[in-house]
Amino acid sequence: MTSLVASWWFMLHFGAVVLVMALSPWCLNRANLASTARHINTSTWQVLPWFTALSALLSLVLIRIVVVTALSYGLSQYALQMVVRVLVLELIPLSAALFIALRAGLGANGIATPTLGSAPTPFKPSPMQAFGDVIDQHLLRTELMPRVLADAFSVLTLAVVSSGVTLVLTYLTLYGLSPWGLPDFTRTVGQVFDLAISLGFVLKIFLFSLAVAVVPTAASLEVMSQPATIKPGAVRLFLVLLLIEAASLAIKYI
Amino acid sequence: MSAPTPPDSLPAHLELKAVGLLVLVASLIIGFVLYVMVARGVFESTQQLVLVSDDSEGVIVGMDLTFSGFPIGRVRRIELATDGKARMVVDVPSKDAHWLRSSSIFTMERGLVGDTRIRAYSGVLTDPPLPANAERTLLRGDTAAEIPRLVASARELLENLDNMTSSQSSLNTSLSHLKTVTERLSGRYGALTTVLGSEANAQKIITTLDRTNALLAKTDQRIYGANGVMDSTQAAIGQLDALLSDTRASLKKVDAVLEQAQAVGANARIASTDLGMLRAEIESSLRRIGQLTHEINRKWPFARETEIKLP
Repeated sequence: MTSLVASWWFMLHFGAVVLVMALSPWCLNRANLASTARHINTSTWQVLPWFTALSALLSLVLIRIVVVTALSYGLSQYALQMVVRVLVLELIPLSAALFIALRAGLGANGIATPTLGSAPTPFKPSPMQAFGDVIDQHLLRTELMPRVLADAFSVLTLAVVSSGVTLVLTYLTLYGLSPWGLPDFTRTVGQVFDLAISLGFVLKIFLFSLAVAVVPTAASLEVMSQPATIKPGAVRLFLVLLLIEAASLAIKYI
Repeated sequence: MSAPTPPDSLPAHLELKAVGLLVLVASLIIGFVLYVMVARGVFESTQQLVLVSDDSEGVIVGMDLTFSGFPIGRVRRIELATDGKARMVVDVPSKDAHWLRSSSIFTMERGLVGDTRIRAYSGVLTDPPLPANAERTLLRGDTAAEIPRLVASARELLENLDNMTSSQSSLNTSLSHLKTVTERLSGRYGALTTVLGSEANAQKIITTLDRTNALLAKTDQRIYGANGVMDSTQAAIGQLDALLSDTRASLKKVDAVLEQAQAVGANARIASTDLGMLRAEIESSLRRIGQLTHEINRKWPFARETEIKLP
C-alpha cells in the first residue's frame, strides 16, 4: 500500500516538476527546444495526417449513423447537438489520448533505451525521498521534459485538429456545400459550448495531455529494469484516462 | 558516465515543422474560441425582454426564443420573482428586435418529446416596436400537464362505455325494446300494434273504426237523406222567414198607433192648459162671490154679533 502511494506520489511529483520546468525560461534553451522539436516531429507531425484521416473516416460513419437515425425518428433538430456532444466533446479527445498513449507514451519507453548513451539507475520511489536524488537533472531537462511536452502537445494537436475536421464534416453532412446552414449550425454549436462545457472541454484535453505524457514516463522510470509483459504504466494510464473521462461526464451531465 | 550533449543546432525542417504545428494549433484554438463567442452572441448588440410565467420547468439558460421558426433571442437568466413567479430574461439581438411588437404574444410549449420551446407571435407587424426591458406574460401550452386530465376523462369515458355495453345497460334494454318495436312494425297491424301494444287491441280499434264508419253512413242518411233533418230544418227556416215578415208588418202598425197616441198626448197637454185658465177664472169668480156674501152678511140686520163682551 505504501509503495502504491509512493508510486502515485512520484508520478504526480514528476508531472509537477516537468510542468514547472516547461514554464521556466532557464529550461527552454536552444538544446531543449531542439529536443522538443525532434519529439514533436516524431509524436505529432508523423501521425497527424494518419490520425486525422482515420478519425475523419470514423467520424463520418458516426455522423451518418446519428443523422440518419435522428431523421428516421423525426428528431433531426437534435442530430447536430448530439454529434457535437458525442464526437467533439467526448470521443475525439479520448481517442487522441489513447492513440498517443499507445504510440508515443507506451511505445517509446525510451528511457531504458540508451539513446543518449546512458540509462538512469533503477530505484524504488519513496515519499520521503527527494526528487532530485532519484532522477538525473540533466536527463530530466534534456530528455524527459521535451518528451513529456511533445506528447502533451501531440494529444492537444490531434484533439484540436480532429475536432475541427469533425465539425466541418458534420456541417457538410447536414447541409452539404450550401452556406445557408451556417447560422443555424453556428447557433447550435454556440448552444452546446456554453461556458461550463467549454471550460470542461479545455480542462479535459489538458488533463488528457498531462496523463498521456506523464504517467507512462513516470512508470517507465520506476520499472525500467524489470521485465514486464505489459508496457509500464499502461494500467495506470488507462485508469487515469477513465477517471478523467468519468469525472468530465459526471460534472457535465449529473 | 555523463550524458552526451545533444546537438545545439536544430535541423531547419524540424524547427519549421514544430513551429508550423504550434501556429496551426494556436490558430485553431483562437479561431474556435472566437467562433464560439460569435455563436453565443458575445459581440452582438442586444435588448432585454423579460418573460413572466408561473412555472419555468423545462426552460434552460441558452434556450432559443423563436419567431416563425427562426431563433431571434436567447434565454440569459432565469430567476424567481418576489411574487413567486418565474422571470426569464431573454436577450434579443437588435437586428432581430423589429420582429417583436407591442402586441406580440409569447408562448411556452412543452411537447411529449423534445425540449420546451418559447415562441413569439406578432400578428400586427405595423404596431409599435416592443420597447427594451419590456415585461410580458408567457402563456403556457403544456401537453404533459394535459395527460392526467386526458387519462381521467378517457377512464370516465371507458367506464361509461362499459356501462352502456353491459347486458343490463339502458342501451341494451333500449335496443331490445327497439327490436320489439320493429318486430311489431313488421307484424300484421304494423304501427297500430306498436302503439297499442298488442294485436288484440289493434283489432278492437279496427272494429271500432268499422262501426264508426257504419254510424257515419246512417247519420248521413238521417241528416242529408230524403226527409232528413236538413230538409226539415230548411222548411222551418222558410216558415220562420214568413213569420218574420208578419212581425215586421205588425211592428209598422204599432208604429202608426204610437204616432197617433203621441198626437193625442199633445192635444191633452193643450187641454190641460185651457183647464188651468178656466180654473183661475172660476176661482176668481168664487172669490168675488165670497166677498159679496161677506158684504151681504155684514149689511144684513140679522147679522150675528161677532163682538164678544167681557163681564
